[in-house]
Amino acid sequence: MRADRALRILGLAALAGMVATVWLGLFVTPNAVGYPDGTVRLLYIHPPLAWVMFIAYGMATLSSLLYLWPRTRHVRFDRLAGASAEVGVVFTGLTLVSGSIWGRPTWGVWWTWDPLLTTTALLFVLYLGYLALRNVPGEPETVARRAAIAGLVAFLDVPIVFFAVSWWRSLHQGPTIDLATRHSYVHGSMAWTLLLGFVSFTLTYVWLMAHRYRLAALRDRENDEGLGAAIADRWAEAVR
Amino acid sequence: MLRDALLVCGKDLRIELRSKVGLNQVAPFAAAVLLLFGLALGPTTAALKPAAAGLFWVAVLLSVVLAVQRSFAIESADSARDGLRLSGLDPAGIFLGKGAAIVSQLLVLEALLAAGVALLFGARLDGALVLLAACVTASVGLGAVGVIYGALSSGARVKETLLPLLLLPVAAPVLLGATKAWNDALSGRPGQADVWLSLLAVFAVLYVAVGTVAFGPLLEDA
Amino acid sequence: MSGYIEAGYVIVFGSLGTYALSLVTRERAARRRQAPPPPDATSGVPSGQASSGGERS
Repeated sequence: MRADRALRILGLAALAGMVATVWLGLFVTPNAVGYPDGTVRLLYIHPPLAWVMFIAYGMATLSSLLYLWPRTRHVRFDRLAGASAEVGVVFTGLTLVSGSIWGRPTWGVWWTWDPLLTTTALLFVLYLGYLALRNVPGEPETVARRAAIAGLVAFLDVPIVFFAVSWWRSLHQGPTIDLATRHSYVHGSMAWTLLLGFVSFTLTYVWLMAHRYRLAALRDRENDEGLGAAIADRWAEAVR
Repeated sequence: MLRDALLVCGKDLRIELRSKVGLNQVAPFAAAVLLLFGLALGPTTAALKPAAAGLFWVAVLLSVVLAVQRSFAIESADSARDGLRLSGLDPAGIFLGKGAAIVSQLLVLEALLAAGVALLFGARLDGALVLLAACVTASVGLGAVGVIYGALSSGARVKETLLPLLLLPVAAPVLLGATKAWNDALSGRPGQADVWLSLLAVFAVLYVAVGTVAFGPLLEDA
Repeated sequence: MSGYIEAGYVIVFGSLGTYALSLVTRERAARRRQAPPPPDATSGVPSGQASSGGERS
């Protein structure tokens, strides 16, 4: 099937990109001034992970909206939302881990209440709750609609959380994972590796989401067929 | 819509007055939380007094979960929920009504907790206007998200664990804003609390709006 | 270079790889369960899990 082949090519491209990122990131690129202990190498994975987290949740919210809108209501958007959210949670967890690891050699702590990192931690818990809600049994349309609304409510909270935490932090200057100002020092092989990181992680996200979506579709079909077969059995018993 | 809201609010409050669950269970729970904080951080008020605002609002947040669960538990008895749907009441009105009932109970609870905090943690309740404003805006916001998530989780068998998991992270900005506002008031700088009060107000307005719009589809499936 | 960095890379790429593998494996298992459709209604063996509109993931 064409979709299968496209997916396979995408997967291979993503894999190649990831391997290249690791190789360049860990071995080829030099250490940088101002980043102790080689922490610059986390620059190639931490921001891309955070970026993918945001597009994953954005995708989930967009799909939830499309599902709720009567004209575009279709189960595919519900599946898309669920798949994207689950992949998003994986990337969120990894964003937290990489952020935490950044802090250790840099400031000697495993956690800083950095605005972005704290917001990420809250997002992690928020969307874990969303996934828990999706797993609650019920009529498919009910579950889908409930999840879509919950997803929207959660997403609306994100900017509020971010601003609140930023104000909260601005009262106390503390260690910050400050990437914005340092980008001006990123050039040469480092810049290319960073770009490669963003691209590879995005490709990986798409591949993971596509497969998660398929899994959801297969499970839905299984449930439907199982139900159909069970009903057929009951009919057969009644006839006998 | 407003008439329906008043109807539902009145019903919920009357049920509360008759059953006194809020008085008998939620308030003592909140008091217990304060005592536990005292045990954990005491016996001197050295750690408690500076943390009074934060501890107060954590206690409020935990109590909101109970209040919301109670608010929806009364609907599940005797298929009251179906009755609610079939009654033809405007869903937005139901949302506003249930929310208003929760907010009223919250305000009473907060008054009691404020007294508790003053008593147990040695906090002096300065800047009363800011304290009050924070309580009102925070409670409205908490009531709004509480009713939304209460409705979302009410059909589930695992609702007792689902509701806190859903509600508390979303309520994090309220905790932040309210605590900061109270801190500013309690330490004699009520003017600085503007930022936090506006945060609380934005949150409240946003989620009251969301609930009013989204409650219709929510009720259809619960 | 600090050992934390290498550990970080291992955790990140290892987790992604594990997740990817688990997805592919679960997908294959679901495909296999669906492959032969039930021959007729009285076979009495529903394919996969016959749950009525129950758990969705």
